[in-house]
Amino acid sequence: MNNNWKWIGTFILFVICFVLQTTVAQWLSIFGAGPDFVLILIVAIAIKHGPAAGVLWGFLAGFTQDVYAPVEWLGANTISLTVLGFIVGQLEERFLTLNLPAKVGVLGFGFLLCDMIYFFFTGLEKDVVTNLFFSKTLPECAYTMVIGAVVFHLSVGKKKRHA
Amino acid sequence: MLRAFRFIVELFTQRHGVVAFAFFLLLGLLMREAPVTVRASIVSTALSTVFYPAQLVVSSVGGYRSVVAENEHLKEENARLRQETYYASEGLQELTRLHTLVRFDDKWDYPIVTARVVGHNPGRFLTTLVINRGTMQGVKENMPVFSMNGLVGKITKATSTHSRVQLLVDPNLKLSVLEKKSRVVGFLESVDGHLLTAMIPSHAGVEVGDTLITSGLGGIFPKGIPVGTVKAVRKSDLDVMRQMDVSPFQEFTVLEEVFVMEKEPEWIIQELLDEQ
Repeated sequence: MNNNWKWIGTFILFVICFVLQTTVAQWLSIFGAGPDFVLILIVAIAIKHGPAAGVLWGFLAGFTQDVYAPVEWLGANTISLTVLGFIVGQLEERFLTLNLPAKVGVLGFGFLLCDMIYFFFTGLEKDVVTNLFFSKTLPECAYTMVIGAVVFHLSVGKKKRHA
Repeated sequence: MLRAFRFIVELFTQRHGVVAFAFFLLLGLLMREAPVTVRASIVSTALSTVFYPAQLVVSSVGGYRSVVAENEHLKEENARLRQETYYASEGLQELTRLHTLVRFDDKWDYPIVTARVVGHNPGRFLTTLVINRGTMQGVKENMPVFSMNGLVGKITKATSTHSRVQLLVDPNLKLSVLEKKSRVVGFLESVDGHLLTAMIPSHAGVEVGDTLITSGLGGIFPKGIPVGTVKAVRKSDLDVMRQMDVSPFQEFTVLEEVFVMEKEPEWIIQELLDEQ
């Protein structure tokens, strides 16, 4: 598959993830906590294609989320997902081989890191952040890790069949 | 141009993406630190251009779910509304019937007591009825009694649980009436306890089929209760008056339920009339 088709394929996945995030994530939510499909995609891209791709798609995803967030917080998602794409991209598959639990662990770490950066840049008060961390970040992180495990498992299975 | 583009791509992809990271991070920080007006401008520009097609996709997918949910909701609501419509229809019919029954009119601002006819007078002519409502329900003597069709009579005796109704056809009851079209006042009575006769001034030009209603004079019956229609016009002994047979709106022999208007007699009116 040439590079152009890879870009188009990634873009389609990107759109699908946003559609899932705005629809399926709400339907799947348990006690207000739902999975983050966009974050799974950014982590997957960064692991697969490296930091440059991670940064680019992280930036686009963050900016997309920021556009629909309060104007006062514009840039917070952009920065957090850009950083996430870069850091996770350092674990690029060309140089490292991550097994499924490691990928899920990276996803969880990335989720927490992303939220911490987001909270920092939104300038929320400490009490609010603490409350959000326990009521929103932790349960959603766990949920996203579960969904991410399924996604990574399926993608690995598909890769093995191709091999 | 192509070489420049390739150079930028290579710059961004080499060195473990540090350049790309620095660039996009800087963009993010600039957005974060920009004035609110600039941020609003960025958001509105992005929404109206790049994200517009995406919004259509997302909203159409989201819309599918909402349509399904809405469909379910509408089905339930439809079933409920059908049920309610049925009850409302029933209620409306009942309301219409009751409105007709009481000749609903705001000017009659009196409480109404519904009563069942439980007895007739044993005489050959039906001139009185007995109803199952008395003073315990607020019924008092001289209160008007009417049915869904028109005036029936008045209460002549009230006990605690029952009352006697003097019908229009009772020779002892004389009633002031008003011809609806000409607005001329006359009076109604029954000479024989069977037929109703009205006396109306000749100049009124009353004809067969004209409607008579209560005039409100006398202090017992309020104005406007339908009484009957003119069945025949006869010459009277007095040229100035016309005697006419009246067919009451309510057939008294088939009465099953009546309504008592809790209107106290305004005797002062009668006294003033008597003084004249």
